Amino acid sequence: MHERLAVNGDLPLWAVVLACALALVSLGVLLAVELRRRERGGPTIVLTGLLAVAALLAAVARPVRIAARESVIGAKVIVLSDLSRSMALPQNGKAPRADVRDAAVGEIAKKAKEARLHVMGFGDGAPVPLATGAGGAKPGESSSKDSTAPRSDLTTALRALAGSAEERPQAIVVVSDGRLDDPGEDAAKEQLQALGRDLKVPIHTVATTVESPADASVRRVSAAGAAVAHVPLPLKVDVGCAGGLSCDELTVTARELREDGAPALLATGLAHLKDGKGTVDLAVTLDRAGARILEISITPPSGDTIPENDRRLLTFNVARERVRVLHVAGRPTSDVRALRQWLKSDASVDVVAFFILRTQSDTPNARQEDLSLIPFPVDELFTEHLPSFDAVVLQDFDAQPYGLERHLPQLARYVKAGGGLIMVGGQNSFVAGGYANTPLAEVLPVTLDGSPGATAADVANVVPAWTDDGRAAPLLSPLHDVVGEELPQMPGANVLGDVRPGGLVLWAHPTRTTKSGAPMPILAIGDQGDGRSIALGLDGAWQLEFSQLGARTSGRGYGALWDGLLGWLMRDPRFEPGQLELVAPCVADAPTKLRVRLPSATAQKDMTVEVRRLDKQDVPPIRVEVPKRSAGSSSAVEISLPPLAAGGYTARLKLGAGPTTRRDFACESGGDEWADSRPDRERMRALAAATGGSFHDATDDLTLPLPSPAVVSAERHVVPVAPSWAWSLAAAIALGVHWFARRRSGLS
Amino acid sequence: MKRSRARSVFVVSSLIAAAVAALIVALPRPARAFGDVGAFDPRVLLVGGVTGAARTSAPARWSWELVQRTSAPGRLKPTQVRADDPAVVDAPFLFLSGENGLVPFTPQEISGLRKFFALGGILLVDDAAVSDEGAPSAFGRSAREQIARVLPDTSPIALGPDHVVFKTFYLLRRAEGRVAGPKTLEAIVRGGQVQVLFSSHDIGGALARGATGAWENPVVPGGDLQRERAIRLAVNIAMYTLCSNYKDDQVHAPFLMRRRALPVGP
Repeated sequence: MHERLAVNGDLPLWAVVLACALALVSLGVLLAVELRRRERGGPTIVLTGLLAVAALLAAVARPVRIAARESVIGAKVIVLSDLSRSMALPQNGKAPRADVRDAAVGEIAKKAKEARLHVMGFGDGAPVPLATGAGGAKPGESSSKDSTAPRSDLTTALRALAGSAEERPQAIVVVSDGRLDDPGEDAAKEQLQALGRDLKVPIHTVATTVESPADASVRRVSAAGAAVAHVPLPLKVDVGCAGGLSCDELTVTARELREDGAPALLATGLAHLKDGKGTVDLAVTLDRAGARILEISITPPSGDTIPENDRRLLTFNVARERVRVLHVAGRPTSDVRALRQWLKSDASVDVVAFFILRTQSDTPNARQEDLSLIPFPVDELFTEHLPSFDAVVLQDFDAQPYGLERHLPQLARYVKAGGGLIMVGGQNSFVAGGYANTPLAEVLPVTLDGSPGATAADVANVVPAWTDDGRAAPLLSPLHDVVGEELPQMPGANVLGDVRPGGLVLWAHPTRTTKSGAPMPILAIGDQGDGRSIALGLDGAWQLEFSQLGARTSGRGYGALWDGLLGWLMRDPRFEPGQLELVAPCVADAPTKLRVRLPSATAQKDMTVEVRRLDKQDVPPIRVEVPKRSAGSSSAVEISLPPLAAGGYTARLKLGAGPTTRRDFACESGGDEWADSRPDRERMRALAAATGGSFHDATDDLTLPLPSPAVVSAERHVVPVAPSWAWSLAAAIALGVHWFARRRSGLS
Repeated sequence: MKRSRARSVFVVSSLIAAAVAALIVALPRPARAFGDVGAFDPRVLLVGGVTGAARTSAPARWSWELVQRTSAPGRLKPTQVRADDPAVVDAPFLFLSGENGLVPFTPQEISGLRKFFALGGILLVDDAAVSDEGAPSAFGRSAREQIARVLPDTSPIALGPDHVVFKTFYLLRRAEGRVAGPKTLEAIVRGGQVQVLFSSHDIGGALARGATGAWENPVVPGGDLQRERAIRLAVNIAMYTLCSNYKDDQVHAPFLMRRRALPVGP
């Protein structure tokens, strides 16, 4: 218990000050004026005068005795420790930045014993408490050894503190290498000042690193606009050299990682460096829509100590401006007419069509000049222009007479590399078109009978039967919504074999079976490498438009069918059986999570996610079972993947035996945080200066100018020293004695 | 005796052979062709008192010419359909020809034709009684009136040689039939798609050929060359039905421009 005296609590401060001032004036008058006028008895007058003034002052102040239990509480100081991955950068054989950071935090804690230090880590989002003691991390805390955050966002961390309902800190200390994502390198002084304004506290900064490591790197890759298939995409690549490396020029290469083979070189350029920095503009053209992985790399000079940032793996979500479709038809029929009109009516489809209008046996009875026919440019189409198409439709087309046979291997490679193929039936399709036992047959979702004399078609009228998979397939749901189970009678079907592994039969023949005894597929879909293919063994689908059923449904069934077929081929999310996405950016050698979104109809299906290296096909794939969900549970499931090495990956969600949903992603060991390995002391210095804090290097004396501790009373007792009347009586007596002494000394 | 035995062996053998042949024919066997459901069918439209094609042999001849000259399949035995028959929507083409004025269409006929046009169907109206100068007959005038009742918000426009129907297979510079008539066809066009083609040329008259192989009608004034051009127009109309505006695609443009610059053929 601590005791002290104080003036009475009912007295305002100004009254105390006034009383003290009057007392001092009175004493001054007594000593300077009255003593000179006295005749005798100076000491008595002074003594009694002092007593009288003191008694009067005491009568006004009426002192009290305060007994209190008090404690001294240090100012709350938050130490924000940089947890971004750049703190794990090697440092030319010296201790890594993370070690320097942790040592600095320990030193600050040691020196600021009077402050209440809260050590938190910042990276991506709000700061998290850090375990700094020997006991390691408690639940909800991170270890100070963690340097795994994909960003170093100080701005968000400070805003989170300012918005917190907890006690506000009285000072902030930031320990970092200064290579922050936010505030950025070019942040103005006003931006830095704004960081401290919300909290109204100074921000002290401690720089962990002074020297840059010897490093050449791809520092930044920026694209001018969104990536669109078939449209050149300008890339600006910033490269740099630091740490005493000598590099005047760096060769920069852009390649696309592909599942079907070695990475494809897209562009290369030479960056000229000045003051350790250089830029090169590259133009890359991506032919396939969807998530595509680009590798941007440099050829590093000797002495480069950080090879991880010599290449960046970037995921580009390539959109389609328009779907480019090559429509090749063997002869004009009502089915060809219907498909052409549907393709031409869709503004999002850019169709290039070639129809065979005349065969060698036809006699047009006209000079060539009187015909509007043009040569079928089969060689040009299937070599030079093939990659520019998103999908190829072969409708009732015989491969043999028009020289397509020699391009079938190329067409098969096109499909495996990500292209789409639809073979539509007719008297010249499938077996009758000579496709059996060719490379193209290998990328169809069904087998074809290549034996001599094989049956090509069943000419009996047929009403295709919906399979269970067909009813559940999202790509046929628009059609099912329009026509229900009803389909028109069609004039025969091509004879198709069993569906290949990974394929799915959506419509089957009601009576005819395959050699295995399964109902013969009429409409089947399947994945083929990176691409997809569809087999539609009919040439009567146009009767979804022109028929009694078509009249009842205003012909919408035909468009609904093709909307789903082409949309599925183009991986339109509306027609995918499920969705895959990364929960957070993938970091090499760290656990990764994938979020799987599934329709409720698939809750009880067997599902696996297969993850395969894009750039190293010989690496065995990783398979993870997707847990089955109970009815009514959330449609999203998160699954954990084991740590992955740096590279490009393809994740495929397999639902039952059918085609897969695919998601490509990249895992980087360096990533954004390692792209620029230079520390940035000047940004730390500027931040401290802008917010009224102090700047220190980690090697300095880390005695920081932190706020003083506060005194807090836990218990308090106030007792008057004497009652008020006693003080008044004492003052009256003292004044009387003084008056008596003055009279005796000759004063009035 | 020997002869009668030999005869009976022959009869039995013949019967067995006939039975096997019948069995082979009767058995379901794999075939390559899918039939002619998707082929070009110049379906004769029966409406407004029309009971058949004005030139009876013309539809079949039209299909035959199409099959001979192009890769397109055609129905060699074209069908007929009434406008108020639900089957009017079963195929994308109708052919209406006549010599006499049409009686007003019934509401059922109008409804049937509207369904047909709503699905994207094409109707060719061929005036078989057109004058040698190309002046429409009562049929031609009444057909326009009745079609206007079916498609009241549109009116016919002239289609010149720049229209795709003049280049779907042959490069043609004008429309011609049994009579030379006007250089253009008339058409009701909606959304860039032809719904109704009006011919004041009697194309069917130029196509019609009797069982003996003789042409049924003289072609004036151009004779056989004009008939050939009329057949080519018929082929082009069929190809337009099956290929739509395929020849308007950009890929054909340079070829067609070069050929248009060449001298005129037959």
